[in-house]
Amino acid sequence: MLLEARQLRVAYGDATAVWDASLEVDEGEIVSVIGPNGAGKTTLINAIAGLLRCSGGELRLDGHDLTRVPAHRVCAQGIALVPEGRRLFTRMSVEENLEIGCYVPAARAARSATLERVYSLFPVLRERRDAMAGLLSGGQQQMVAIGRALMACPRLMLFDEPSLGLAPAIVDDVFDVVRRVREEGVSVLLVEQNVLKAMEIADRAYVLEQGRIVSSGVPQDLLQQSHIREAYLGV
Amino acid sequence: MTAHRAISGAGIGLAVCLLALLPLAGLPAFYDSFLYIVFYWISLATSWAILSGFGGYFSFGHAAFFGAGMYTTATLSVKFGVPFLVTLPAAAAVAASLAVGVGAIVFRLKRLRGELFALLTLAVSFILATIILNTPIDGGAGILTSSVPLPHIMPSPSQTIYLLGMLMCVGTLALAYIVAHSRLGLGLYAIHDDEDVAEVKGVPTFRYKLAAFAISAAIAGAVGGVHATYVGFLTVSETFGITVPLYVVLMSVLGGARHWLGPAVGAALIAASLYTFTSGDQAMIGRGLVALVLIVAILILPDGIVPSFLRWRARWTAQRATAPLPPVEAPQPAATPSGGDRPANAQDSGIDRPVALAIRDARKSFGGLQALRGVTLDIHEGEILGLVGPNGSGKTTLINVITGHFPLSSGEIRLGGAPIQALPAHEIARRGVARTYQIPRPFMHLSVLDNVAMAAAFGSADHGRAASIEEARRWLDFTGLRAKESALPAELNLHERKFLELARALSAEPQLLLLDEVLSGLNPTEIDHAIALIRQIRDRGTTIVFVEHLMRAVVELSDRIAVLNEGTLFALGEPGSVMRDPRVVSVYLGKAHAA
Amino acid sequence: MPSFTLLGQSLVSGVLVGGLYGLVALGLSLSWGLLRLVNLAHFAFAFLGAYLVYQMGTSWHLSPWWAVLLIVPLFFALGVVQHAIFLYFRVVELTSLLVTFGISVIIESALQWIWTADFRRFETPYASVSLKIGAMYVPVVELIGCIAAAGLAWATWAWLRWTYVGKALRATAEDPEIAVAFGVNQRFLSFLLSGVCAAYAGIAGAFIALISTLAPSQIWAWLGVVFAVVIIGRLGNPLGALIAGMLIGAAESVAMATFSPAWAPVVSFSALIVLLLWQPDWL
Repeated sequence: MLLEARQLRVAYGDATAVWDASLEVDEGEIVSVIGPNGAGKTTLINAIAGLLRCSGGELRLDGHDLTRVPAHRVCAQGIALVPEGRRLFTRMSVEENLEIGCYVPAARAARSATLERVYSLFPVLRERRDAMAGLLSGGQQQMVAIGRALMACPRLMLFDEPSLGLAPAIVDDVFDVVRRVREEGVSVLLVEQNVLKAMEIADRAYVLEQGRIVSSGVPQDLLQQSHIREAYLGV
Repeated sequence: MTAHRAISGAGIGLAVCLLALLPLAGLPAFYDSFLYIVFYWISLATSWAILSGFGGYFSFGHAAFFGAGMYTTATLSVKFGVPFLVTLPAAAAVAASLAVGVGAIVFRLKRLRGELFALLTLAVSFILATIILNTPIDGGAGILTSSVPLPHIMPSPSQTIYLLGMLMCVGTLALAYIVAHSRLGLGLYAIHDDEDVAEVKGVPTFRYKLAAFAISAAIAGAVGGVHATYVGFLTVSETFGITVPLYVVLMSVLGGARHWLGPAVGAALIAASLYTFTSGDQAMIGRGLVALVLIVAILILPDGIVPSFLRWRARWTAQRATAPLPPVEAPQPAATPSGGDRPANAQDSGIDRPVALAIRDARKSFGGLQALRGVTLDIHEGEILGLVGPNGSGKTTLINVITGHFPLSSGEIRLGGAPIQALPAHEIARRGVARTYQIPRPFMHLSVLDNVAMAAAFGSADHGRAASIEEARRWLDFTGLRAKESALPAELNLHERKFLELARALSAEPQLLLLDEVLSGLNPTEIDHAIALIRQIRDRGTTIVFVEHLMRAVVELSDRIAVLNEGTLFALGEPGSVMRDPRVVSVYLGKAHAA
Repeated sequence: MPSFTLLGQSLVSGVLVGGLYGLVALGLSLSWGLLRLVNLAHFAFAFLGAYLVYQMGTSWHLSPWWAVLLIVPLFFALGVVQHAIFLYFRVVELTSLLVTFGISVIIESALQWIWTADFRRFETPYASVSLKIGAMYVPVVELIGCIAAAGLAWATWAWLRWTYVGKALRATAEDPEIAVAFGVNQRFLSFLLSGVCAAYAGIAGAFIALISTLAPSQIWAWLGVVFAVVIIGRLGNPLGALIAGMLIGAAESVAMATFSPAWAPVVSFSALIVLLLWQPDWL
């Protein structure tokens, strides 16, 4: 098992946002976590990325305990994040953003090869490599965010709401990229409010509601369950 | 209570009289001068704190106002022969006008960060110094003021100066006390903690900051006027040097700039310790020691001596009171009405009633991003309107434009028929619009009671101080927070902070209440409790707009649901049918599902 | 109206003085822009450096150029220690202003205690040497100071622009959380930058010792104008600080020549106020 979370609990101060969540991601898998807004999806992803401390439970990558790894060393373990809202370094150029992705020594050594890979994946970024990241369109910014994570040569990529705020045609592109990322051997954990898209692409999925994982399984089965509809629509 | 007050009033009066007569007791002249200096620093530091301590806008330019007063008195009395006592109000007026002029410009700036205000005021004082130095006001030669005739209030001039300094000090402290316990003070404390929220809760922030700046500068000007005769000889470099702005900051921060007495305590300590190192080398060591004390004080007691002492005393008395307070019992929700009871039908609950809030083609863009692309929506009196939509669909932006936090790019919003889109946020609040914040934003340095009382005082009902406290207690009872009224918000848990948000919004007695995700982060029991509270609020006749992601609650509570998507009103109607609408389903679950 | 030569000469000396403003502003701008700490003590550090260079020069007859080599590591350590205190007590932007105000006063008192309040002048053989270019005189020491300022500003700019550490510093200033997620050790970098800023104060101090007269109270004389330079030059931008310094230096100097010397401060502070009121996006 590549990523293994057991009874993970994450809190902001005294407000617990994720309660005893257990999930797994295997090598080469795409796993989706769906759930309504405010269910704690982003909290869960940020905890796995090391941005938030877990207040309880276990988190392992390839059997190595991640809960005690300082935030800035998580990336070197092989986890890279495509954060919600992209969070690019807007006053730096596209290429500089990508280079922050390969800050970790191992990834730095492979800089030119990975950069080439990212540019062939997103040719438009090569054209705009010197533009300030903040001046790009939403779709292009999402490409930079994905490219930045790829630059870290991760084994597991965390996507947090990659379709948020993008036009439908661009959303399709983004999900194509997620597939290609997997084809290159990177496992994917995807958090998404676009349920159908997330289910279409996933091998397995978890449903998170109010901070708790309420069901899991293969997408087709989950979609049949009435309480997904209820969680999203209240009817 | 009144007898107690009368006694302490008489005590203060007696102490002031004794202090006034002190020079006649035949003490060496040295003491007149020493005490004058202590009074002088107390007045200056306290005056600084009225804007910078209470309101949180740190000024490094206090020397500008002090110096303006000094040079006004010197010029009027030396060059024009104006009687000394007449020059003092003039000095205060000149300094206050300078502050109003500076404030009218800088307080209009959005995004004025604290340190930029500090630098701006410093720059103003340097420019003023340069102008005075280069014009006939000073001309570089300095002004000799020792020959200014003083009124013969006391036998000797030094005793007269002592008396003036003392009266100035007592007057300043009295003024600081009054401001601290007035609406102005409450507003300033709120501005200090969170200016945006203060404005939305009804505090006219611009006017209050300007008023505080003017009062602060007027006192500094008058103190400068008296000091002009004390020093005997004015030079620009001494007057506008770094000493005054440095020391008033140090003294106030050391004593506790947010408390009306704090700066006085800090000033007395520092002025007295400086005076003990008088001669050359020692003066320098004294300065160094004072600076060291400042550093340690800021690092260890960031709130200052007086507030820290008060907190310690409060804790000590609390520990001595043996019986702990009864545990907080949340008020039992009124028997939750079953589905049939609620006025769920859009037809009878919404459309018939008059329109409370009319939104017409509301548009708002941030740079290139269009957050609202023409929303038209009527909200009817007494209804609960659920406002839902995916992340980034414009829900919070809509709340922000209704409350006036952001101006609309175009369109119109009418409250009870009157257009409000061009009004400042505090005016909209006074007309009866209140909101809660998704992430609670209480005023962190105000007690739970003051947080709520402040909203009552500035809300639509316009209560006096006592009435607003009473009102606040009522809403703390309502939300079950009464037992924690003297706690600071930091001591509350998330659930209690969410209810504090609610109590604060309710105490403004709004006609229209905007709830931004009050349920997020609460556990199921707390959610049931909150839903019951919201029902009770509506039963009192308040119109409620309810932004929420927890769909079960939205469907259960709302009379109508409005769905926003990409900044437009996507669907509107009775909850059950809206949420079954294939178009809404496709927004939430993706396209294929609707087909 | 003063003559063309006088204007030209004042322009040249203004630019040279402005280079020194830029040199002092450099460290301040970096710590404010990239660490969000307003280090008022930067001025006190610079004068401490100046007095040390003066002392080593007068009592050990050590050339100022060698003295700088001693000062740089010493001040780097000083900056690291100061930053450790800031981190320990969780000092933020506004408290940093107050704490460093206090540190400045302590250093000022120490300078006065050791070197007295008298004005001191570091006499060096090259202090009075000037180049004559056309009709203008260019004092050699000030020229070297200006070149050093330009060199240092450019090197810092290149460091921030082209190295991984520099990019990480800029990224951290904008979004520390995401920078950390990509492996940037924010704590370590903040120590590094604090050390570098303090070392820059030391270097600036060496030139202050060579060019101007020293007195402890002079710490405050630089405060206003350098802050104006830092803000006008854009926080965290080394080349901006240099250019803003030269512009303000030149403007002051021309104002002195056209009106009167005493009016000079109005130039920089008016520029600062106009800029703060105008509030361009990058401020």
